[in-house]
Parts: sequence; structure tokens; C-alpha cells
Amino acid sequence: MAVAAEVGCGLRKLLLLGSFCAGLLPGTTWYITVAGLGGEPEYETRFKGLAAELDKSVRATPDAKVTTLSGPEATKAKVEAAIDEAVKGAKAEDVLVVTLIGHGTFDGTDYKFNIPGPDLTAAELAGKLEFVPSRRQVVINTTSASGASIEPLRREYRAVITATRAGTEKNATVFGRFVVEAFRDPAADTDKNEAVSALEAFQYADKKTTAFYETQKRLATEHPMLEDTGKGTGVRAPAPDNGQGLLARQLPLLRFGSLQQAAKSPAKQALLAQRESIEGQIDKFKYEKAAMPVEEYKKALGRLLLQLAQVQEEIDK
Amino acid sequence: MRLLALGLLVMSAAWAQDCRGLHRRGKLAEARACHSRMAQSGNALQQAEAFWYLNDAESANNFFRAAVKAQPKNPEPRVRWGRFYLERNKREDAAALFEEALAVQADYPPALIGMALVAAGSFDAKSVEFAEQALKKDPKAYEAHEVLARFAIEDGNPTEAGVQADKALAISPEALDALMIRATIDWMEGKPGTEWIDRLNKVNPAHAEGYALAARIFVINRRYEEGIKLYRKAMALNAEYLPARSELGVNLMRLGEEDEAKPMLEAVYEAGFRDAATVNTLKLMDSYKNFVTIKKGKIILRLDKKEADLLRPYFERELERAVDVFEKKYQLVLDRPVQLEVYPNHEDFAVRTMGLPGLGALGVTFGNVVAMDSPSGRKPGSFHWASTLWHELSHVYALAATKHRVPRWFTEGLAVHEETAVDPEWGDRLDPGAIRAMKDKKLLPIATLDKGFTRPSYPNQVIVSYFQAGKICDYIEGKWGWQTLLAMLRDFSTGAGTPAVVEKHLKIKPEEFDKEFLAWLEKSTESQVKGFEEWTKRLRALSADVKAKNWDKVIPEAEALGKIYPDYVEAGSPYEILADAHLEKKNTPGAIAALNGYAKAGGRYPATLKKLAKLLDDAGQPEQAARALERINFIYPVQDEEMHRLQGELWLKVGNTDKAIREFQASVFSKPIDAATSYYNLARAYRAAGQLDQARDNLVSALEAAPSFRPAQKLLLELSK
Repeated sequence: MAVAAEVGCGLRKLLLLGSFCAGLLPGTTWYITVAGLGGEPEYETRFKGLAAELDKSVRATPDAKVTTLSGPEATKAKVEAAIDEAVKGAKAEDVLVVTLIGHGTFDGTDYKFNIPGPDLTAAELAGKLEFVPSRRQVVINTTSASGASIEPLRREYRAVITATRAGTEKNATVFGRFVVEAFRDPAADTDKNEAVSALEAFQYADKKTTAFYETQKRLATEHPMLEDTGKGTGVRAPAPDNGQGLLARQLPLLRFGSLQQAAKSPAKQALLAQRESIEGQIDKFKYEKAAMPVEEYKKALGRLLLQLAQVQEEIDK
Repeated sequence: MRLLALGLLVMSAAWAQDCRGLHRRGKLAEARACHSRMAQSGNALQQAEAFWYLNDAESANNFFRAAVKAQPKNPEPRVRWGRFYLERNKREDAAALFEEALAVQADYPPALIGMALVAAGSFDAKSVEFAEQALKKDPKAYEAHEVLARFAIEDGNPTEAGVQADKALAISPEALDALMIRATIDWMEGKPGTEWIDRLNKVNPAHAEGYALAARIFVINRRYEEGIKLYRKAMALNAEYLPARSELGVNLMRLGEEDEAKPMLEAVYEAGFRDAATVNTLKLMDSYKNFVTIKKGKIILRLDKKEADLLRPYFERELERAVDVFEKKYQLVLDRPVQLEVYPNHEDFAVRTMGLPGLGALGVTFGNVVAMDSPSGRKPGSFHWASTLWHELSHVYALAATKHRVPRWFTEGLAVHEETAVDPEWGDRLDPGAIRAMKDKKLLPIATLDKGFTRPSYPNQVIVSYFQAGKICDYIEGKWGWQTLLAMLRDFSTGAGTPAVVEKHLKIKPEEFDKEFLAWLEKSTESQVKGFEEWTKRLRALSADVKAKNWDKVIPEAEALGKIYPDYVEAGSPYEILADAHLEKKNTPGAIAALNGYAKAGGRYPATLKKLAKLLDDAGQPEQAARALERINFIYPVQDEEMHRLQGELWLKVGNTDKAIREFQASVFSKPIDAATSYYNLARAYRAAGQLDQARDNLVSALEAAPSFRPAQKLLLELSK
């Protein structure tokens, strides 16, 4: 939320040359979702159910390429085959989203995702993902001990989201449930740009996980983390001051709505440019909020927001 | 050489007695000098005693340890060390040392007295056994009589306390605590106690320990302000008696006088007195920076910053409402505002109350100050905060009306009575523990009902006593009217006892009252008490039918069980089973009726109430649905933004814009993930209420969070036309 509130689409464009706003990004999104071994019937059903639910949500995204593996299908070979497909078919501007649901372990050296047959280590997964042409990638590891997968998986232009802070948090997690929820709950799109970014999904699931433990009056046994700089150990609260979250905010996990169509219409390009210009002014304004008298800020912001609404009305016509 | 060592030991013992004697006679400067010299004696036990006296706890502790090591066969060092710990409220450590001393020498009277004091500290009746055991071994152990006197007065039995104090004085006319207990008995009855204080002053004109003891007794009887005066007197006599200063600080904090309490406790801490109550209270006061204080007319509300915006409207309204109602009902205007403190961390509340964590209560009243758990401090559905608030507020009025002389059973009974008087759905239900107590004839006579609170004789007795006291007040109000309850309350302020008050106002002997009350209670709870065993068995069998999805069998049986024990609204209640069965049979009206029954019977689980709301809304009854959700505001209004949002929508749908605004505000203050939608909803409610400026402000907030939020943009355009 901190990043979302402070770095908007227009300003971000200045900061990261050549990148696109999350909602308007063209290209294909490659989804690989794997539900691992449950160990017990209850977990088996839960993991399978979550994978199926996620599968349903992501198929609504325009230009989605979806592979979902669960039960006996979720073998290392099948996971590798799904990645190979992206290796062959994905373009540089595409986005790759890998989601792991299930149990994970950490033996002090390797993180392992528990699947039928040989487990998949984080290093093995990282090795395979290196060959996917999509520059921008997201790995959402919702398993126990997933914190240990940050280090092997991190790299530039990849956001790694984990359910736990470290490999030592070994209890079954609830984070995955809320990640899947983020893909279908419109509330997850907090900036209302008709796309749920990796950062929004992370913040949504993190907040829900925290609330879960607080409501149950239980000691939290998982502490979700996000790493998107390629060199950090992950943080709980991505923000400009820790440098985390900038990439994740631009990584759309899910896109929906009419903006997609507008972006493709040449007739609307001028209005979209105008819209982006006003958004940029709004972002700049928000940065200056602390230095301005409250009333002056509110009036000026109100004027800009009204202009933006008028432009949007034109776009929607 | 051996003889020389023995000689030194005897000399040291005499030295210690001399020093202690000086203190006992109130010669504090001389006693201090004596102890300072003794600190250099080279005898570990005497040095421990000296450092203890000089408030050097760490050195005292080290020398006690050395003394025990040096004299393994002597129980005395262990007993003295135990007393040192006892003074610092480390009761477990003290008990362990007294037990060790008893292992060294069975029936060693000072160790038995130590054990009696430990037990008395937790109001345990074993205290009497230990004291009597000590007297058996040493009939001249007057301190044992003093312990018995103290136990009796705390037990609300001043006659027995007087008898025991006299026995101590017969053995030693200079038994200082016995003299003080005698004076305390007089003071509690409003008498001057001059005779005893004169005698005391002749022996020791600076007996701070005695005044602290008297203060403690007043505090136990919830007469805090008088207790504080006595602590102040103790401090005036001996400013270096740190336990009294610590207790004074803790009690000032209880009454909301933090400005005086904090530096006092800090000074105590700096002087080396660091018992758990002092340390915890200081930590708690440090945490007050995380609270906001709202002063408004007759109320002061203190809420944790992180939930203050959300909770304030609900708490403020109930607190003001309770003050208004009670002013009229009790015909009493308080001389200063009521202060309500709400703690999201239960252990903070426990420290606020006892100085120590681990308290089971939900709320506690100290004069005009009420401290209670926040709904966020408990599991959803386990706590009806509004009911607790009214309960505690009732204590404020009962205490003020009686100058804190109201018997425990009566104030608790009134408080329980008030919970359901404000709303029949509030308050606690008849629970299985109370049913068992009624079946086993364990309810106490009205004359001794206080013991059910102060000296429970079986695990659940305090809870049962709350129930009984509440029912007694219900019964009196029903038969004799509210004015009779009020007249009884006023009479208690004169110090009159329960039997006299009952006889005067109800015109019957307490024993007669008990008979009539029990007959009434039996009649009103007949089906629940008589049918309880059968109900338990049938509920168990019902769950098998539920598992087998035998809904045609489940429905009539759940209905029948609900009639036998309608007060049972805990998890897996027949109401919920019945609702589920109706839903399985696609009978929505049946499910709604079952869940309405649950809510009216006092069911508190938010998930169940939300289910009812959804069914009502789906059935085209939005106002009823909103009311179902509104119940949750009094139970668990925290960590549930969705509930507030849904409630706001429902109120908006039925045109109740005030409540819609309230709920959408709560949604905003719940710090939702989707802040933009929350502000937008609030803007809609303001717009519906015709408050267009507020609507615009909230739209700006919505769009500040999400500039491209289409519905908010559209509304902004609309409002700008």
C-alpha cells in the first residue's frame, strides 16, 4: 500500500524508462500453477481446490496461457515441461507467473517443494526459469518454509513472494488461500486500474494472513515476504525506503476491464495520453502532500481528480 | 574456636533483635544506623536482614543465599528469606523457601506462619489451617492469631477478626498488627479506633507497616480512596517503607491518578523495590503514550490509538447512554466524570487491574474508573463488550451510592441484572455450571453469598455466584420493585449487613427469602435444570443424525432440544443445527426463524449472526438483516471491515443514512485493503444524507487512493454539476 500510494503510474514511467502501466500492458501472461503433495487427505483436497480456483480466475485474463498441475500430475517432469513451453512460446514483453501451493521443506541448504516423485528444489526451479524469455516474472511460493526459496529464486526483473520469512517457519500456511482470493476479489485491485499487480496481491494476502492470526488469537507461524530487487532478502512491508515493491507494482498478475480495449484503439490514444499526464501530476502532488497545507492540498487534488474523471468519461464514451 | 563461633552467632542474633526492636519501637533513625552497622557484621543472615532493611534487595538476596548455605540445618534463614520474598510479592519463591524450612524442621511455627501468609495472599482458606497448625506447635505464636484475624476481616467477618486480634494481644500486648486490625475493624464501621491507635502509638508511633496493612484491607473491600489515605499515612510515618509506596502508586494508578502514580513508582523502582506489580505498572503507564483520551461532558474514554477511530463511536454512545440511564435509575449524579479504559491486550488490562498478568475478568471498576478488555482482546463471540460496559458502569453507581460499602453479592447482582435490563439479548445465559450447581443444591444462602465470590469452595463457584446474585436482584425487582432494590442499596451505605437489610426492606428473614427465591428460581428454570441430563444425551445423539444427514429427524429433535434448554447458545447449539437442517431442506424461512431464535436467546457468534443477516437480505428483509449485523457491533466490531461494509449497504438500502454513515466510517477506520471503495461508500452515504461537502471530501479520499476508480469518478462528476 505504501508504494501504491506513493508511486503512481505516470511517475513510475519517469523512474523506470520503457516500462508500462500495469493496467495497460499488452502481451501474454503465462501462468504455471502447481499444487503439491498434501500428505493428509485434508491438505490434499485443500491444495487441489486452491489450484483449481486459481486456474478459473486466471483464465479470465486476456491472452492467458494457463497450465495448472495438481495431484499425481504435479511431477517435476510435468512442471519442467510447462516451463519449457513458456521457454519456447513466451516473448520478452510477456509476463510469467509461477504459483506453488502445498508443503515445502528446508534442510539448511536446499528448499524443496514437495510434489509426487522427486521434490523440486528452488535452485532447480530458478535454473529452469532462467531460459524463459519473459523479462518480467513472478514466483509466488505459498508453501511452508518458502522463505528459504527467496535467495535461490531472486534475480533482476523477478518478484519473489513467499508465505514465510525463512526456511525455519515450517508449519502449514494460510497465505496461499489469501493469494488465491486476491485473484478473484475486486478489492485486491486497490488502485482500481483494472489489474491486480503482484504488489497488490502480496499486500492483500499479507493483510488477510495477519488478520487471520489476530482474529484466531494465535501466534503467527508465517510472515509473508516480497523480494523484487534481485539482491535483497525480502521484506514484509515493501516501500520506497527499502527499495522493494517497485517492480512488483508493475507486474500484472491479472488484468480485466475495458482499459484493455481502449489501449488498443488509436482514436483514444490522445485521451489516454492526457489521462496519463494528469495521473502524473496527481502522483507528483501526492509526493508533495506533507509540505502543503491540508486544505490547499485537498482543493488542488480535487481539481486534478475532477479533470481526470472528465477525461475518463470521454474515454468511456 | 567452636565456642567462639557460637558466641559470635549469639551476639549477632542479639544484634539483629536489637535493630529490629528499635524499628518496632518506631526509632527509625536509630534502627537505620543499627542496621547499617549490622550490614558489616560478617554474619550472612544478619547482613541479609540489614540489607533488606536498607532496601538493598540484591545484596539482601545474596546474603540470604549465603546464610542458607552456611546453615543448612537451620530453618530460620529460609523463613526470613521467604518473608523477604513475600514482601516483594514473590509468593511462589516464598512458599518454596517455607516448604524447605519445614523440610528441615517439621512444624517449625515461623515457617507455618509464612505458609499461612502466602495462602492468605491468594485468599486461600488453607491460610487458616497453617496458622492453626503453628498455634498447635507454639500456642504463644501471636503472629498466627494476627494472620487469622487478617484472614477473617478480609473474609468479611470482623467479629472473628476481633476475637483473633484479642487472642494475639493476650499473648503479647504489643502485637502491633493485632492492634492495627482492631483499629481497622473500627474504621471500617465508621468508628474512630482511637483506643487501639493510642495503644499502638505507645509502642510504635511510626508503624508504617500497620497502616499499609489497614490500607490493604480497605482496598480489598473496594474502598480505594480510604485505602489510599491510609497508604499516605504509612508513607508519612516512614517514607522508606517501599512496599507501601509501591502499593500507593499502584492504587493511585487504578483510580486514574497517573500523574502522581508514575513518579512515585519510578522512585520506588529506582530505590531497588522492583516487585512484579511495580514493574508491570510502570511498563503499562509507559504504554499509555499509545492511547488517546477523549474527554466529553460526563465521560472520559481512553482507547488504544490503533483502534480508537473505529471503536470510539460505539463506546462513546454506550458510555453516555449508560451514564444517562443510571443517573436516573440510581438517582445519583457522580461528582466527577466516569473514566473508561479499553485494553486491546488482555495482559495490559490485567496489570491495570491487579498489577499482575493472568486475570480472568473482562472488566473491573475502581471508583469512577472502569478498565476493561477491548473486543479485539478476545476471540470473536466470546465477549459482549457492551454488556460488560453496562455491568461495570453499574458498579460505579452502586459503589458511589454506598460510599463503597455495598456487599460484593449485591453490587454484582445489580450489575448482572443491568446487563439484561438494558437489552434482554445481552448478559450471560444460564450455563451448564449454574445448572449443575442448582441440581446439586450448591447455591448459597443470601446472607453468605459474598463467600461465593471471595472464598469459592468449588472451581466454578464465582461464576455461579454471579448468576445467583443476578437472579436474586431480578427476583427482588420483580416482586418488590426497583425502588426496593434502591432502598436496599442506600441502606448498605450505612454499613448495614445483608440479613438486616433483607429483613428491613423485604420484611422477611433471610432464611425465608432463600426458600422463596429458590422456589421461584426452580420454577423459572425448571425445564432447563430437570431436562439437562436428557438434553445432553439427546444433543449427542442429534449430532450423529446430523452426520448422517437425516434432516427429517434432525429438525423436530433440534426444535425439541431448543425448547428444553433455550439458553444454550454455545457452538453447536440446537438453533444452529436446526437452521442448517432447514437450509438443507431448502426451507429458508425455517432457517431464519431458527437463527432469529439464536440471536434473541443471546447467541454471540459473529459468523452465525452474519449467516442470519445474509438469509434475511436474500429473503428481501434488508432492515432485519441490518439489525442482525448491528448486533455484532456490540460483540466484535473489530477486524471485520466486510461486516461494516455490508451493514452500511443495508442501512443505505433502507434509507437509514445515519447508520449507513456510521458503518461506512467504521469500514474506513478498519483500515481496509480496498480503502478507495470504503471512502466511496462513505461518500454515497453522505450524498444520500444530503451532506454534499462530506460526500465530496470522501470522494477525493477515494480517488487519492485510486485515481482511476470509475464509480468514484462518476459520482464526483455528478456532484460537480
